[in-house]
Amino acid sequence: MSLPGAPAGNPAVHGVGIGLRASHYREFLESHPRTGWLEVHSENYFGDGGYDLHVLEHVRSRYPISLHGVALSLGSADGVREGHLAKLKRLVDRIEPALVSEHLCWAALGPRHFNDLLPLPYTREALDQVVSHVTRVQETLRRQILIENVSSYLQFRASELSEFAFLAELAKRSGCGILLDVNNVFVNSVNHGFDPEQALLEIPGEAIGEIHLAGHAAVGELLIDDHGSRVAPQVWRLYEKACRRFGAVPTLIEWDTSIPPLDVLLDEAAMAARLSQAARA
Amino acid sequence: MRELAALQARFGAGLDAPLSEAGALEIFLGVPDQVKSRFGIYRSNTIANAAKAIGAAYPVIEKIVGAEFFAGLAKEYRSCVPAVDGDLNEYGASFAAFLADFPPATRVPYLADVARLEWLVHRARYAADPAPFDRARLAAVSPEDQLRLRPRLHPACHLLHSDHPIARIWEVHQDTFNGEFEVDFSRGPAHALVFRPRFRVEVARITDAEAAFLASSREGGTLETALAAAQARNASFDLGRLLSEWVESSVIVDFELNGE
Repeated sequence: MSLPGAPAGNPAVHGVGIGLRASHYREFLESHPRTGWLEVHSENYFGDGGYDLHVLEHVRSRYPISLHGVALSLGSADGVREGHLAKLKRLVDRIEPALVSEHLCWAALGPRHFNDLLPLPYTREALDQVVSHVTRVQETLRRQILIENVSSYLQFRASELSEFAFLAELAKRSGCGILLDVNNVFVNSVNHGFDPEQALLEIPGEAIGEIHLAGHAAVGELLIDDHGSRVAPQVWRLYEKACRRFGAVPTLIEWDTSIPPLDVLLDEAAMAARLSQAARA
Repeated sequence: MRELAALQARFGAGLDAPLSEAGALEIFLGVPDQVKSRFGIYRSNTIANAAKAIGAAYPVIEKIVGAEFFAGLAKEYRSCVPAVDGDLNEYGASFAAFLADFPPATRVPYLADVARLEWLVHRARYAADPAPFDRARLAAVSPEDQLRLRPRLHPACHLLHSDHPIARIWEVHQDTFNGEFEVDFSRGPAHALVFRPRFRVEVARITDAEAAFLASSREGGTLETALAAAQARNASFDLGRLLSEWVESSVIVDFELNGE
């Protein structure tokens, strides 16, 4: 199964990009900071109009854009929320992004939305469901989407597959790509006690369309994926290994809480570019 | 075969109700104390994310009641009205109604009306962008047709009537406000107009006659009917000055002729 990525004529993402957040809008409107591409949270641009969309439409003429969704809830047992999908489709049609991505998680059930990335049981039954929901989304958007591995604090007794075997099967059966969050691999390896380098071996390199890097926080023996600091040294080392194994993959620096001056993000992006180049030299 | 649905139902019930937590914890691997504390992280996240959305929509209410009391209000609201949408900019529509019925909040008599105003301001941020005003097209309308024109309001425009000076209360609580922090509560009931010249949402106190004119326009009335509605409240209503002011500030974004 093969699906188109970005529409023809739309610039592809290369190298290292950063997450665009409202506190940096002004700098992107007034000057044009050097970065390979920009990623935004899709749901922040679901409005009919207004300032956020104005900024996004402005920057899309200068940077390739990646739309990263956080609330579609692809793992819900009762299916994809059609209203949410319709809003995403409207945004994708409007922005014509280079990449569209979502998470391997669930967030909604029945009338409730929990507004968080909740982990899934990695069962055959859940796999069938997620394959069918991802297929529904890709058919609606008429393009491939990337699915990201999430950080988690709990594991289900019912799981039959490892997280990464589940993701690999999902990519194979739905034709989706993989957004490999290297920080989440590390966070989960500590929280659940597995070898993060072994986990990389389970991931089919040809399916990876993007890598995420972010900071995490330690609370006791648990790592919390708060995207609120610089990338940790162990995560940089795991990223180097990923670069050696998977080659040049577009990489994003994410930062969502206690957002620092833009220069700090650009500095992290420069570090990622150096490591990626050195690993492939 | 319906195991996924059952697991998610137990997970969700545990997040929403402490009484259902024990049933949720059983589905996870690990020692009970650790599972319990880790499950608590998910509960905190889901509450915090909804509360953050309430904070983003109601910054003036937060300033009026203080951060600590506001955090309690947001948490209580979330337990009464859980989120149904993944787009958190849509969450919080009934916060004003909640405040009007929640005894600890009713001690501030204008609080619910300020919240009503803030919701309109919040939604105005995401309203559609109108096409630029077409002056040439308007100039081509013959004088005898002018009163049959229907003013079209910006999608971000809203009118709100209150017994309290809510437009002024809103104004003095803006970060950009640098005038005298003073509200005259003796001025009686008033209308507030929410509008969005370009991208910044603003609020103004308007007169009964102005509100009558804009309400009539919003319902699709012609200039003639809107003018009559305004003049019924103020015989010396000055339409010429207001029309150009409202076009300038994007309250009115177009004039339509019948059949267009």
